[in-house]
Amino acid sequence: MYVYLYDNFLRQKKYESTLKAIETRLTDFGVAGKIVRLQSFTNSEILIQDEIRRGAKTIVIVGDDDTVAKVLSRSAATDILFGFIPVGGNNTVAEVLGIPIGELACTVLSQRRKVKLDIGWVNNRYFISQLHVPASDIKIEYDEKFTVSSLNGKMELVVCNLQPFVWKRKGKGDIVVHPQDGKLEAFLRPAKKKKWFGNKYEDPSIFPFEEMSVSSYKPFEMEVDGKSSKETRITIRLAKSKIKMIVGKDRKF
Amino acid sequence: MFQKPSVDTSLSNEEKYHEDEVETVVGPSVHVEGDFNSAGNILIKGSVAGKVSTNKLLTLEEGSKVTADIKAGDAIVSGEIIGNAKIENRLELTPTARITGDIKCDILVVHAGALVQGKVSMTGLDAPEKNSNQTSTRSRVKSKKGSDDSE
Repeated sequence: MYVYLYDNFLRQKKYESTLKAIETRLTDFGVAGKIVRLQSFTNSEILIQDEIRRGAKTIVIVGDDDTVAKVLSRSAATDILFGFIPVGGNNTVAEVLGIPIGELACTVLSQRRKVKLDIGWVNNRYFISQLHVPASDIKIEYDEKFTVSSLNGKMELVVCNLQPFVWKRKGKGDIVVHPQDGKLEAFLRPAKKKKWFGNKYEDPSIFPFEEMSVSSYKPFEMEVDGKSSKETRITIRLAKSKIKMIVGKDRKF
Repeated sequence: MFQKPSVDTSLSNEEKYHEDEVETVVGPSVHVEGDFNSAGNILIKGSVAGKVSTNKLLTLEEGSKVTADIKAGDAIVSGEIIGNAKIENRLELTPTARITGDIKCDILVVHAGALVQGKVSMTGLDAPEKNSNQTSTRSRVKSKKGSDDSE
């Protein structure tokens, strides 16, 4: 049985026709199912567990990057197959997964091409798309083997999972992070000097890792899947093959 | 068109992504302290205080500094190493290279201007019968006058 989790923003009138087309296509493919609308304070983990008890075999997230992050960060530990129908503008994860936006995603869903994805784990929660620490005085320890610090003081840190981080290199090909390479990749950019509009950064340093801890003597800001918090120490780990997901054949990994 | 969607469409993509080479980059103003291992290529532009090891290519750019032993499959050195260098295959020292320590490698390419203070030992001399075929086809040590020349 399929259960479709609709994000709250899909209530807007402009998505009405798209949703109608998706629902028609899903019925045509014989994969239509129960629709649950997510509210701002819905705990997706409890919701999904309830649906599994009622016989759900596939949970399909309908929305954008934020919806995927919101649902999977809470329910990544749940042993169920996830699908995704991207709707709206903010959809970079869908591109990585090879899922077209709108009703075309129903074809991918019906083909059920399943892949196990690695995800990140930070301070007792999973993160799906990206972790970002703006330029701060941080010290980083990798796999309990070596530490990394900047000679200039401040460093920006980006750890990518499903959301691509593209580093444009002059004369060489761009580096795009693969979501399934067995390791997380940390991009560190030391701040050179303060400019009128923010910091000027060096070319990033790249360290693939399985576990790293970031610490600072004063609290630093951390943004995980769009949610910000202040921390003094964080531990980031790789959770291998944690999520079973339906992906398209044009996926980027 | 009327085919039922198959449930067991490939679950394993693992072989594909293992082929991707992960490159580790240490930026110019980044300082690394501790033992530093990588399965892929390593590019060092900053400073490292601790052992560096990889099975693949290690590149030290001009201005970089490693204060410990290094171990790599191949290496191109344009920076400074204070420690021993053990390279499985080919070590290339560019005009800006500075090495204070012993070198062990199979093929050594030294450009004019590179400085080495230490013992150089090459695996060919340890086992002459093993490498007798190789020595006839290539020179063991190549010295270059200009930095523009590349092998």
